[in-house]
Amino acid sequence: MNYTRIRKLKDKYAIVGVGYTPQGKIPGRTAMSFYAEAGANAIQDAGLKKDAIDALICYRQFPAANDEPEATPYLVAQHLGITPAILSQESYCPRHQFIQAVSLLEAGFCNYVLIIYADNAVSGKRMFINEATHSESPAYNFAYGEFGFVADYAMAARRAMHQFKTGPDTWKEIAVNQRKWANLNQIAAMHNKTLDYDQYINSPYLAEPFRRLDASLISDGGRACVVTSVERARDLRHPVVAIMGIGEANPSVDIHQSAYMSGPTGAKKASEMAFGMADIKLDAIDACEIYDCFTYTVEITMQDYGFFNPGEGNEFFKDGKTAPGGKMPVNTSGGLLSEAYFMGLTPITEGVMQLMERCGERQLGEKTGTNKPEIILCSDNGGVLQTHSCLILRRL
Amino acid sequence: MEITGIVTADTTFFWEGCSNHQLRFQKCDECGYVRWPASIICPKCHSMKTNYIVSGGEGEIYSFVIYHVAFNSNFKNKVPYVVAVVRLEEGPHLLTNIVDCDFAKLKCGRKVKVVWRKIGEVTAPYFK
Repeated sequence: MNYTRIRKLKDKYAIVGVGYTPQGKIPGRTAMSFYAEAGANAIQDAGLKKDAIDALICYRQFPAANDEPEATPYLVAQHLGITPAILSQESYCPRHQFIQAVSLLEAGFCNYVLIIYADNAVSGKRMFINEATHSESPAYNFAYGEFGFVADYAMAARRAMHQFKTGPDTWKEIAVNQRKWANLNQIAAMHNKTLDYDQYINSPYLAEPFRRLDASLISDGGRACVVTSVERARDLRHPVVAIMGIGEANPSVDIHQSAYMSGPTGAKKASEMAFGMADIKLDAIDACEIYDCFTYTVEITMQDYGFFNPGEGNEFFKDGKTAPGGKMPVNTSGGLLSEAYFMGLTPITEGVMQLMERCGERQLGEKTGTNKPEIILCSDNGGVLQTHSCLILRRL
Repeated sequence: MEITGIVTADTTFFWEGCSNHQLRFQKCDECGYVRWPASIICPKCHSMKTNYIVSGGEGEIYSFVIYHVAFNSNFKNKVPYVVAVVRLEEGPHLLTNIVDCDFAKLKCGRKVKVVWRKIGEVTAPYFK
């Protein structure tokens, strides 16, 4: 496919504010409270008044914990005291928020899009089992003892071990490198916990071949950001972080019938679209913020992006190449594995914060012995590799 | 363990076959594609003309995981157990369990054959 027709969108829209909340294990709070706080903080961070927000897009709504109200976008808007022209929320992880935002802005339906994800997953004891959806009835999967995302991604990782050289020796590098970033990030859940290879290998199996340390965290908290035009962004308070390229692909087939679980996943086509729009090659990328629900997700995503050939992941990730001081920093907040789980907003907001140079001890550049970044590649994926979104951010 | 709700309107034919130890799949009358999950249309050509085939019950392990943790209390006495996707010779990929197996001998590509076990309201296909 020829992507030159979306090239007109290159560097036209920007992420202008990021909203954080307390995160980790924060008992006694509803999911809605994190939605409201993250949203309000993103608006404030952008230097905007709340009434400027004329579009609200929420990430996936999970069933409410305890007896809380569902965190629907209507209620999120009500809590924020806004009445946006555009309101939307995904149901099952299609990870379409940023393409939707850019498209709405380009069409002229709105000027400022607020994107939020929040949950009280730890306190609400969410296991991420019933949240997985499959091609068979829930009772069918229950009958066979098939429960949720850990095993589903482990299924993909096992097939990859059959198709090319990968396994725990590669995944331990990813886990250890990311932990080193988390050790530099005060708000990361694993900030005070170092990780070495032995600890990784001794970590108990959840669903073999995945150990506990292959899996992302579960977090209370929320994350949000505001998207607007680069033109408007220039009048706001932060350095302009533009969306240089964006792409999406949806292979869609359930992991139970997937023939793409060991690649190429949607990452390949989505990145072709994003790089086609940005009109750059991989060698222009200074750092990556990769959706890392599991260690293998980082490997297959970067493999499909073309950073290395199938089976060369071990070589790519070893010797700390993606850790602080490495040539290609990956997941500089600690990521979903070691910072916090806020879906694609964990990697994407980190990319924005790095380009705005707001990352303190973990700031890319001189402080961490890495290249000062101009262009950061971010990814998001949903379902079980069923959907993929790729975002190239650039500091203008 | 009491399980109900396995059979849906789309899969009645499948479970009726299972009760007679037959692994039935839909086959498109137009293009010949054998499909799973069950669907009213062929995902290849969108024809609604459908026949059924009975699978020989032979295939290979496409991928598998070994559950070491019981994510549900009903499975506490069952761990470790194997959940697998079996690629049947006729084409469909079926989510199932590999039973009575030596974990050390499990690998993708290993040949397996259907065996039948009662689960809740239905007789269900397992592989070994």
